[in-house]
Amino acid sequence: MAVGSPTAQAPATPIGFRRDAARLTPGQLAIIRRAFRAVQGLGDDRGYAHHSGIHGLPLPIGCDNAHGTEYFLPWHRAYLYFFERALRDREPDAMLPWWDWRVGFGRPAELPPPFAEPNDELGPNPLFDAEVSPLALQQGGNAVPPRTRRRAGHPAAPPLPSAAEVVDVLSIRDFTGFSEQIEGLHDRVHMWVGGHMGQIPYAAFDPIFWAHHCMIDRLWRVWQLEHPGATPPAAILDEALPPFRMTVRQTLSVTELGYDYAVSTASAPATPTPVPA
Amino acid sequence: MTAYRIDRIDLPAAELVDEVTRADLVFYGVDHSGVSYEGQVYIDASDAEPPTTRDPSRGYAGSFTVFGHAGCYGDDGHCLPGQGFRDEFDRRPRHPLTPFTRTVVVTDRVRSAMSSGATQISVTVVASVPPPEGGEEPGEPMRIESVRLLTYHG
Repeated sequence: MAVGSPTAQAPATPIGFRRDAARLTPGQLAIIRRAFRAVQGLGDDRGYAHHSGIHGLPLPIGCDNAHGTEYFLPWHRAYLYFFERALRDREPDAMLPWWDWRVGFGRPAELPPPFAEPNDELGPNPLFDAEVSPLALQQGGNAVPPRTRRRAGHPAAPPLPSAAEVVDVLSIRDFTGFSEQIEGLHDRVHMWVGGHMGQIPYAAFDPIFWAHHCMIDRLWRVWQLEHPGATPPAAILDEALPPFRMTVRQTLSVTELGYDYAVSTASAPATPTPVPA
Repeated sequence: MTAYRIDRIDLPAAELVDEVTRADLVFYGVDHSGVSYEGQVYIDASDAEPPTTRDPSRGYAGSFTVFGHAGCYGDDGHCLPGQGFRDEFDRRPRHPLTPFTRTVVVTDRVRSAMSSGATQISVTVVASVPPPEGGEEPGEPMRIESVRLLTYHG
């Protein structure tokens, strides 16, 4: 779907597309890096540290009721939505990219290049690492380094999920079973990246967190398309997803939130051309 | 490092093996207050211990993962479920560190055991813990209250 849902007040408008991080055009990559760089430079509640800190430290740990529960997918969809809006406040065309971490069929276990390079043409790559907020460090007893680090593929970590495992999980028909199994694959990716990403209190400070969760959110979108009408339990549909002003029900349609997923996109202006009579 | 061993879980009768479309090992009361870990599940391999392999011929049946809370950052009692007053009017969410449930699909292993005529299986769970950032000792991250085998028949 290329447009959002029309309302009585507004016509359907074009939506934004989240793209495969490994297939961004140079221009798309430059936009997302500018957006990350800009929010990482803000120290208030528009900035990176504020949004990253919602997930874990500083207290309260906002994701606490979003792991091991049916809120896992809706809560993280809301989280991505509000962070992406913060990015777009700085760069209106910025859309979060997704990291296709599936292995198999010739796909190696590796981080997407835009997130793996320490530097870009402007200096330190804002997708490579980020500062952990001083208050989070203090509340955590200064147990971790002040900039995010990774130990991708550590021998003691579980392997990245395979394409076949993802197919199996997408075939589960009820939401609760799907949510639990996709969360298990999600846990493995956190542990495979390791470092700050391997611990709930600090995970969202690593920029790869957002691309990882976009992949999870994308798989939920794919699952929704394959199982139309399957929703979270009715008992939680009208529950809020604190600290976000959004209910579970309001997360169910990505196009109503103004986005969808594509592998890649390319655009060109449509120029009127005279047609001979 | 602790390994959990459950010596005997009853299997459905062997003559039902062709009816079993899915079998799950459900782990209840899984603690997630500590560091992140992977619980590697072995069937009929009671000698499994870390470091283990993911070799199905040695009983490996799958794994579950726990993205851990990695400690308590509040004052005394902050991370203890069951503290404080609650009654039927309490609309607050459950305590975030309430133990949760993890499920590992083990259909092939269970069907294989049933086909061999076994009436029971043993289950061993071994925790594999990557080194957490900061280098602190992971301690004993894995705590499980009970395990149940669920089979679904077509």
